[in-house]
Amino acid sequence: MTRRVVSVLIVLLLVVIGLLPLLVMFGQSLIVNGRFSTEFYQASLASARTWVLLGHSVALPLLTTLFAVVLGVPLGLLLGKTDLRYRTLLMALFTIPLLVPPYIMAVSWSYALGGREGLVARWLGVPMAQQTSAWLFGLPGCVLVLGSTFLPIVMFLTRTSLQSVNPRLEEAGRLVSGWFGVLTGISLPTALPGILLSAILVFLLSLGEFSVPTFLRYSVFSVESFTQFAAFHEVGAATASATLLVLIVLLILVVERRYIRRPLASLQPISDREETVPIALGALRAWLFMLVCLLCGVLVVVPLLVLVMQSASPAIYVDALARAGDSLLRSMAYAALGASLLTILGFFLGYFLARRRLPFWQALDFLTIALLTLPSTVIGVALVTLWNRPATIFIYATPLIVLFGYLAQYTALTSRITVAALNRIPASMEEAAAMVGAGWLRRVGYILAPLAKRGLVAGWLVSYLFCLRDTGITMMVYPPGGETLPVRTFTLMANSPPRLIAALCLIMVMATLIPLGLLHGFVRPLRAAR
Amino acid sequence: MKLIEFHAVSKTYEGRVAVRDVSLSVTQGERLVIVGHSGCGKTTLLRLLAGLIAPDTGSITINGDRVAADGRNLKEPEERNLGMVFQDLALWPHLTVTGNLEFGLKAHKIPRVERDTRIQGTLALVQMEPYAAASPAELSGGQQQRVALARALVLRPKALLMDEPLSNLDFELNGQMRQEILKLQQALGFTLLYVTHNPDEAFEIGTRLVVMRHGTIERMGGVEEIREYFKTLSRQLG
Repeated sequence: MTRRVVSVLIVLLLVVIGLLPLLVMFGQSLIVNGRFSTEFYQASLASARTWVLLGHSVALPLLTTLFAVVLGVPLGLLLGKTDLRYRTLLMALFTIPLLVPPYIMAVSWSYALGGREGLVARWLGVPMAQQTSAWLFGLPGCVLVLGSTFLPIVMFLTRTSLQSVNPRLEEAGRLVSGWFGVLTGISLPTALPGILLSAILVFLLSLGEFSVPTFLRYSVFSVESFTQFAAFHEVGAATASATLLVLIVLLILVVERRYIRRPLASLQPISDREETVPIALGALRAWLFMLVCLLCGVLVVVPLLVLVMQSASPAIYVDALARAGDSLLRSMAYAALGASLLTILGFFLGYFLARRRLPFWQALDFLTIALLTLPSTVIGVALVTLWNRPATIFIYATPLIVLFGYLAQYTALTSRITVAALNRIPASMEEAAAMVGAGWLRRVGYILAPLAKRGLVAGWLVSYLFCLRDTGITMMVYPPGGETLPVRTFTLMANSPPRLIAALCLIMVMATLIPLGLLHGFVRPLRAAR
Repeated sequence: MKLIEFHAVSKTYEGRVAVRDVSLSVTQGERLVIVGHSGCGKTTLLRLLAGLIAPDTGSITINGDRVAADGRNLKEPEERNLGMVFQDLALWPHLTVTGNLEFGLKAHKIPRVERDTRIQGTLALVQMEPYAAASPAELSGGQQQRVALARALVLRPKALLMDEPLSNLDFELNGQMRQEILKLQQALGFTLLYVTHNPDEAFEIGTRLVVMRHGTIERMGGVEEIREYFKTLSRQLG
């Protein structure tokens, strides 16, 4: 009985928060002056600009994916499978751009390469800076920033997929071939579904990203949708712009489900007891280490150093905190609350997905994944369309609407992490609890949740980071006086001195990295003790 | 007195028949062993009785109560008062030995004093008192076996179901545990349904044996009758 009530509540919540706003938004775009009309869609399809935007919107994610895969796969291999030095540290450094709002890296690159006051202008002269600026503010700059932001996804999924390959398969290969042959003939083909999945994720995430193309002035559908809504209050036009994006997302998800999901399921994490032998790089070790360090320097360390150099004055940090200290605290509070709700919702949804205890469980899974990969501006517009009414103003005018946005977009993160965690727990653990008389809630609370606690902590942390860095949804729906730090920084960029923006960006980076560092320091001794 | 009854029970998994039209009854205090090759449906039969899965057709009765019928479970596993020892034992790794026994008692809202008494008594019965505070990972295979048995018995179930509980033990320990299970059953008098693929284990544990093949009951009878049946089978196979 309890199980049925919880499952109905979860389905209702996902429908009301995730699906209904999209349906209402789409429905409203088909009504003009109280009558059914496809006017917005006709205008959109007839406009030459639409096709230019479509070209841009496909070119950017395609090139970003190419950039992330070309660099991320070798990095995942080197950092996950070989005896390269300082692998953990390098992995952590490469991950930083993913953890912070992507536009922070764009801001940093603009201080390095763009304008009359950038580093290139100061060191190499204004003519050179004009060239680098022209290069940065456009497709190449967007690809550089988004590629380095999403590269860790490919790196991590490649590493995880390679580490999930049964070591016995590789050992059998090693009896007849060197490591190169084993990697190209056995390991990488076996891990290919994971690598393809990472490529699809990068494509979808860069397709929906709006802050970087906005800042670097590259027109794509996600920016157009945001502009139509925020600047012209044209919900119909914004929806028409978003619809093509939604169609692309759905098409890719169907392809993923049809061709990648099943092979991926055959890759299961190997037992903790099974040892994998790292590939000895031999004479190449030092050279490859230098190469990886160089890449890390260019993609991560240099942009961060540029921000440090721009804001190298204690006074500017005092000013930044005075202007945006409340936004920082609000960001952390919203993110912590959002992550906690997402962990609870994701845990129960993950349970029902893993145990297949919901009718239409595949449809629900698809819905949450689709919401995760939809552009945040589309979800933002949809939320405003549904909730901005007198009857629901108690939601729309309060931080609840921001939390609704987080739940709508990020539930798939915690539900999929829960599914992975629960799949590692034998079904007999829950069955044994049922056999000694424990009801469903007791079984879930006292047996499954403690056994899945690492997954729950990971889910909380991942969703906290995503909520903390969120710009798109929060920008669209934040209540009066309720802006978060990423939104505050983004809105201040237009008319504030670069030193202040650089300081705000670094504060955002620190606000993300310090809790992570503390958590790492807290968890490591526990692990060592165990 | 009949404690458990299966009436024309069938179960299919994704088009594959696991149990077909099985009718069977078990009397109070009996030791019934279900024996057969892998995939013959013996574990499915046990899981149907436990309520972990529902039959597609047929019905199951425990102590006169219909617990499953018309393609669904009428009583959930936690409402059937059956104990079960799983093949992988399923000891909860985050709880101590005492915690593993206490979990079910708490679910049944047994008062603390009685809980403690029952736990001590049951651990003494399986000679595990010194390990009450240990975690399952600290125990040997045989000790884990005893804890799983104690966890199932502490609730004083109507019947104890055992799904190949000794299959992961070495030869010597396997023999020792068979004797301990028999001693416990004789001392406490519980009804035992025991699933195994090992005929020697079946002959030693059971008072009545059920031989399953392709989801149906191929033969049912006393130990000597089934022993003779196996001998005839092996002679026919040459």
